[in-house]
Amino acid sequence: MKHNLFWKVISLLVITSFVLVACGTPATEAPAATEAPTKAPATEAPAMTEAPAAGDVALRWRTRPDNQEEINVYSEISNELDGQLDGISLTYEPGGTEGANYQDQLRAEVAAGTAPDVFWIPGTDVADFATRGLILNVSDLATKTEGFDVKAFYSGPMYHLTYNPDTDKTGADSGALWGLPRDVSTFALYLNMDLINEAGAPDPRELAKQGKWDWNAFLEVAQKTRALGSDIYGYGASAWWGPNGVWINAAGGSFFNADRTACALNTPEALKGLDFQRSLYADYDVAVPYGEDPEPPFRAGKVAMFQNGRWATPGVRTVTFNWDVVELPNGPSGTPGNWLFWGAYVINAKTEHPEEAWKLVQALTTAQTQGKVAALGANIPSRVSQEALDAFLTFTPPANNQAFLNGIADSAKPTAEGPVWAGSWPEFDKIVGPAIQAVLTGGTTIDDFGATICDEANKVFTK
Amino acid sequence: MTDLLKVDSRTMLLLRLSTIWRWLFALLTIGGATALWTGGLPISALWQKILLTVVLVTAAIASGIAAVLIGRCDHRGRMISLVLDYLAFAACFVLTLNAGEVFIGIDALGGTFGHGVPYLGIVLLGYLLGTLEDYLPKKHTPEQSLKAVSRWVMVGGLVLFLWQVDAVQGLIYVIGKIARPAGLASVAGMLVFGLSLWAMWREPTATAMNVKTHHEQVLNGWLFLSPNLLGFLIFFAGPLLLSFYFSFTDSDAFNPPNWIGFANYAKILNIRLALLNSPTQLAREVIDVKIYDEVGRLVVGNFGILFAAADKFFWIALRNTLTFALLAVPMSVIPALVLSNVLNSKLPGMKFFRAVYFMPSIAAVVGISLVWQWLYNATIGYINYFITLGIEFWNNLFHIAIVDPKIQWVSDEKTALLAVIIIAAWQTMGFNTVLFLAGLQNVPGELYEAATVDGAGPWDKFWRITLPMLAPTTFYVVTTTTIQAMQVFEQVFILMNPPEGPNNSTITLVLYLYRSGFQNFKQGYASAIAWVLFIVIFGLTLIQFQRQRKSSIYES
Repeated sequence: MKHNLFWKVISLLVITSFVLVACGTPATEAPAATEAPTKAPATEAPAMTEAPAAGDVALRWRTRPDNQEEINVYSEISNELDGQLDGISLTYEPGGTEGANYQDQLRAEVAAGTAPDVFWIPGTDVADFATRGLILNVSDLATKTEGFDVKAFYSGPMYHLTYNPDTDKTGADSGALWGLPRDVSTFALYLNMDLINEAGAPDPRELAKQGKWDWNAFLEVAQKTRALGSDIYGYGASAWWGPNGVWINAAGGSFFNADRTACALNTPEALKGLDFQRSLYADYDVAVPYGEDPEPPFRAGKVAMFQNGRWATPGVRTVTFNWDVVELPNGPSGTPGNWLFWGAYVINAKTEHPEEAWKLVQALTTAQTQGKVAALGANIPSRVSQEALDAFLTFTPPANNQAFLNGIADSAKPTAEGPVWAGSWPEFDKIVGPAIQAVLTGGTTIDDFGATICDEANKVFTK
Repeated sequence: MTDLLKVDSRTMLLLRLSTIWRWLFALLTIGGATALWTGGLPISALWQKILLTVVLVTAAIASGIAAVLIGRCDHRGRMISLVLDYLAFAACFVLTLNAGEVFIGIDALGGTFGHGVPYLGIVLLGYLLGTLEDYLPKKHTPEQSLKAVSRWVMVGGLVLFLWQVDAVQGLIYVIGKIARPAGLASVAGMLVFGLSLWAMWREPTATAMNVKTHHEQVLNGWLFLSPNLLGFLIFFAGPLLLSFYFSFTDSDAFNPPNWIGFANYAKILNIRLALLNSPTQLAREVIDVKIYDEVGRLVVGNFGILFAAADKFFWIALRNTLTFALLAVPMSVIPALVLSNVLNSKLPGMKFFRAVYFMPSIAAVVGISLVWQWLYNATIGYINYFITLGIEFWNNLFHIAIVDPKIQWVSDEKTALLAVIIIAAWQTMGFNTVLFLAGLQNVPGELYEAATVDGAGPWDKFWRITLPMLAPTTFYVVTTTTIQAMQVFEQVFILMNPPEGPNNSTITLVLYLYRSGFQNFKQGYASAIAWVLFIVIFGLTLIQFQRQRKSSIYES
């Protein structure tokens, strides 16, 4: 009897919770924009919940969202384009799940033949996907498309997206077009102005305006803020190739030689940049230890300058201290050595509807669509359009949005993130990443790094 | 032999049709195998062709034999025929589900399931109504009517649930998908094989085929075993063999693989030892750096030995994996042994502590790793925070100046692997404790009583009775924990960023094969790594078995 009573109480509790769930729906109900993703989960069959109109071509597309807000915007865009594109029915699939990151999941689906018709990949992956025949060369379709011009997008991404590995040519007439860039981004330094003011350090934004924002000025700010306390850091950056490359580029070095067919990390310029980065961790001790995620301490108000891309803006907007952004400091080469990050919408080589997929890719990269995504604050439109850039400046905070645009301006000579057509980027990164980490954490010296790194890294180049 | 005159005409007809069907089936499968190699079927991968050919030719031969045996009314013909039709029926059934995109639909159900959950509450409410009879006086009519109401409420709740999860729309969708040529062909296959199964299964046919009771028992045994057996063959043995084949190819998972023999294994095992004239001599002076990379060096005085490998990551991963196992196994077994002895006592509240220690074992690895990632954070993590508090406390108390180490748990190559080991040991310890507890409860109490009479103390009892009597449990715990440790992946993958850790200090074999196969497009190479890992684990387990035999008191 006691046992029965127990189960009955449990049942009552469960029923109560069900009723609460049912009653709670209106309170938690999201507006139309947020409703869509819950009804169209990542792996949902195209027609299970929303059958395409008779005769419509059903297309699935996917891009990597960073948060639920982005999922909502992409779902809304998908619904709008669904109405605009005649004869095409769209299903948006947010990519990535806990424990299975976006690229790994996508590759597994490509291998299994279940990947969407159109999907987003990072710029560094384009060569691997293209040379293995996994994505469609839409050059012929683009040629037939009235008004299409590759020059409408930033030249850096288009250099790689029009690269023809058979002829080594690039550009509008190369005979290759692997997709269109979804957006671009670049690094900036997110500033904790409260810490900087408290330390009595000069305002980096003012220094940048005066043209005095260089490595020395950066170091001065970092050291002054670091002196505020043992748990306060002057600078923080995540451990991946992006932040490492900035210092190398700014010193006049590069990961690769000019035609990207060999490693160039052993040049004096590259080593000088890496040595300065090392000194931030070892000699001056101003940086959040390399390998530790700097975002939590920055958001906790313990880091003065946090290097990250535009994608970090939505998260930083939640902090309570006074913050802004500034462009990266100029290095010995006279430029900040920044990256122009990008990713592209590409078409699955196995799609049954290449023409419709191409229409979708174009629709996803119009100024209007990009504006909607950029309004969230995480991206910069990939179209070279003053209108789009002017609109971007209004997406505040941060007040100094111009810092991001300065980072991708031609005058700053940003290096476009790009694939390695003559080898394998993942393999290169696998070798170089830990080796740089060893330098920055004191496991090896700059000299030893310079003496051995290209012996190892050059093995990944096939040409 | 059955007297054919005693067999009814219907059975005779079915037997003749079955014989014809078996010959036809043999011809069809041979035709299918031929079409594979003449381009009649759209399959290009060599391994798929070989596999399908083996399956089809085997089926053809078996079907031909069955045809002959059925003609002779030999029960073996019936058995072969039933097995073939059963397997073909199952295959057609799966193909039909696939044609109806049911497997994708199950995923889709995950998205709509939430809408229907509240209506499952109605089902539960119906059940609760039915149980109210306990509180009602034993009157026949009200009790029965309440049960009826309960039943209808449950049915209603279920219908509403199905409606809310779009089951009707899903069903229409599935039917629409099946009503296409491929789906219809699968359904037709199900019907044909189903009919053939029925014809052979029916009792008059069995009697006509001289089937005895034990033949039926054998068949029924295999039938009950078949779901598990088929699952094993398809989802375990099949991929296992496939990965073995891939390990001899350059498969990238996307394009047809090319046979490259032992090249993958050769690259893994291609190592070089070279003498160094000085501890700091560059590797390129003693090895061909176009082939080899330095893995490590052993320095003695002014001399040293350099260890280089064509794939240095494999050897670094092997070193890390063995180090991990070497530390994680004792750290999760010895505390578990101690803890189980404590928890085996009859002190009040022990059940609570048993549950507490077991909890980490049932928690999701991803969640645990994320929590630990936060705890390990060098700047704002709780572990370092408490270390700092502790040091400040001691410094203030004794006026000393202990330096706060500010350990960079996951970002320092000296501590990164240890950080992972701590998590793994903490998580495994609870499960091992439960195993030891079970073992302890099997130790006869008389042994302890006799030892007490002989004047043995607690330590003697533990050392001379508990430990030897726990030998089989200890063997099981150590073996399974070692195997688990050699396959460490999730903790590293989630905890470390990047997963390889600082200077490759946390790259493990499974992580490396995952990276090779799924991120660097080298499925063939990853398969070879998997097989080398299998050999390593198998070797270690074999050693443990041999040691167990030598040392076990049960063996002697």
